[in-house]
Amino acid sequence: MLLSAQGIAKVFGNFRAVSGVNLSVEEGEIVGLIGPNGAGKSTFFNCIAGDMSPSEGRIVFAGADLTHATAEAHARVGIGRTFQVPATFEDMTILDNVLVGAFLRHPHRGDALATALEIVEFTGLAEQRNQRARSLGTPGRKRLEIARVLATGPRLMLLDEVLAGLNPTELRAGIDLLRRVHTRGITLVIVEHIMEVIMTLAERVLVFNQGRVIAQGKPSDVIRDEAVIEAYLGRGHRKYRP
Amino acid sequence: MKWGLLTIAAALLLYPFILTGPFYWDIGVAFLLAAISASAWNIVGGYAGQVSVGHSMFFGVGAYMPLLFFSLWKLPPVAGVPAAILLSLALAVVIGMPTFRLQGHYFSMATIAVAELIRIFVGTWDLVGAAIGLQGPAVGRGWWDLTFRSELPYYYMFLGVLAVLLYLTFEVQRSRFGYYLRSIKADERAARSLGVPVRWTKLKALMLSAAFTSVAGSLYSLKTGFIDPDSGFGILVSVQLLIVAALGGAGTLFGPLVGALVLVPLQTATNTWFGASGSGLTYILYGGIIILLARFEPGGLHELYHRISAQLLRR
Repeated sequence: MLLSAQGIAKVFGNFRAVSGVNLSVEEGEIVGLIGPNGAGKSTFFNCIAGDMSPSEGRIVFAGADLTHATAEAHARVGIGRTFQVPATFEDMTILDNVLVGAFLRHPHRGDALATALEIVEFTGLAEQRNQRARSLGTPGRKRLEIARVLATGPRLMLLDEVLAGLNPTELRAGIDLLRRVHTRGITLVIVEHIMEVIMTLAERVLVFNQGRVIAQGKPSDVIRDEAVIEAYLGRGHRKYRP
Repeated sequence: MKWGLLTIAAALLLYPFILTGPFYWDIGVAFLLAAISASAWNIVGGYAGQVSVGHSMFFGVGAYMPLLFFSLWKLPPVAGVPAAILLSLALAVVIGMPTFRLQGHYFSMATIAVAELIRIFVGTWDLVGAAIGLQGPAVGRGWWDLTFRSELPYYYMFLGVLAVLLYLTFEVQRSRFGYYLRSIKADERAARSLGVPVRWTKLKALMLSAAFTSVAGSLYSLKTGFIDPDSGFGILVSVQLLIVAALGGAGTLFGPLVGALVLVPLQTATNTWFGASGSGLTYILYGGIIILLARFEPGGLHELYHRISAQLLRR
């Protein structure tokens, strides 16, 4: 077992954003987290990424307890994450953005540079590597986020709507990139609204609604689940079926 | 780049022979001191984006300690420099440890508050001369007192320190530490997610910056042989460091030099034109520069130069 998050809850005042969520991820898996807006996916995601501490539950990664560990500690043990709104270092070049990630495993500039160059090549950013990150459009920024995390040498990548806002061509290129990332032996946990991404990539899906997991299993099974359809379309959806 | 560096080095080395006389040498020394202090501020304020508005506390410690060593034990003032550095480092840790846990403007506010507290405290403490301040040896007892009649030895002493600081900054810029500083400035949360030890990196930057600001303070008091609470710990000292760096381009290697090159002659000119009647003019000048930078060019002259040269290239 690579990641085990058991009984995770996050409480803000009187509001339970996440309640009793269990997630176990095996090495090499691709797991999707889906659900309507406000279902608690991102809060849960932030708990396992180390951005916030869960109010209840325990998170173990590769045998190490990370329940209350910082985001830095998560990166050090091999958990990398991307952000829903790309958080690239705007005034730094693309290569320098990736170098920041590469420095985690390679303290010396020469080694870090070699890793960063390999990663920008791998992610298709080699030609623009000396441009500032601010010059990139949405697809480029998403790609740069993936590149930067890859440079940290993660075992698990947490991807937060990393393919949102792309046109169909860019989306297919993005899916292809994630597939290639996976073939590097990296386990993926993907939060995504775009069903094409989930249906194509994920081997297993967890569906969130009102802070709880209401269904899980293979993507093809989950989309037929009554509870899932109801969560997305509301209780009265049957009235409108042809 | 290489030729540019050589030209700058040659210009700085030969300046006293090109523009001769105490008036120009005095401007040269003032320029170097402004460049050193602003370059020191630049490490934490420019590269790491942690804007300190109380760096006068390190400058003041650096300025007071040599003269305190002289007035208490009749030691050569320069003997107080290492002690000043150590005290500045301790001060940096005391301020940085609690404030770097937080994001945003807490650090800036804490630095103003601590610097002002120290200024008020020093102004009432008899051991350090209270409001009157401290004086160094009126006449040098030997070369080790570093009291020279001419400005020239000070010029080259200051130039040596500036060269060391710039070289160190250059190395920092290329190192992992430098990349981490820039990533923290750009987006702290993202930096943390990539494994950057944010708090420790900021603290290291503050300590390095504090040490060199302290050295700048020591150079100031070694040269003038006098220090009082306002010229050591006054808020204007802090603001000057910030403005010189921001005007030239905070977070760039030569930004502070460019800022000092513009501001020091400008200050000398206003002082010459208006004399004592224009004593408040420096505040107006600084205020004006802050407004212009904030409104039109937050990246300073460095950014302006890049923008204009990019536009010219496109034509």
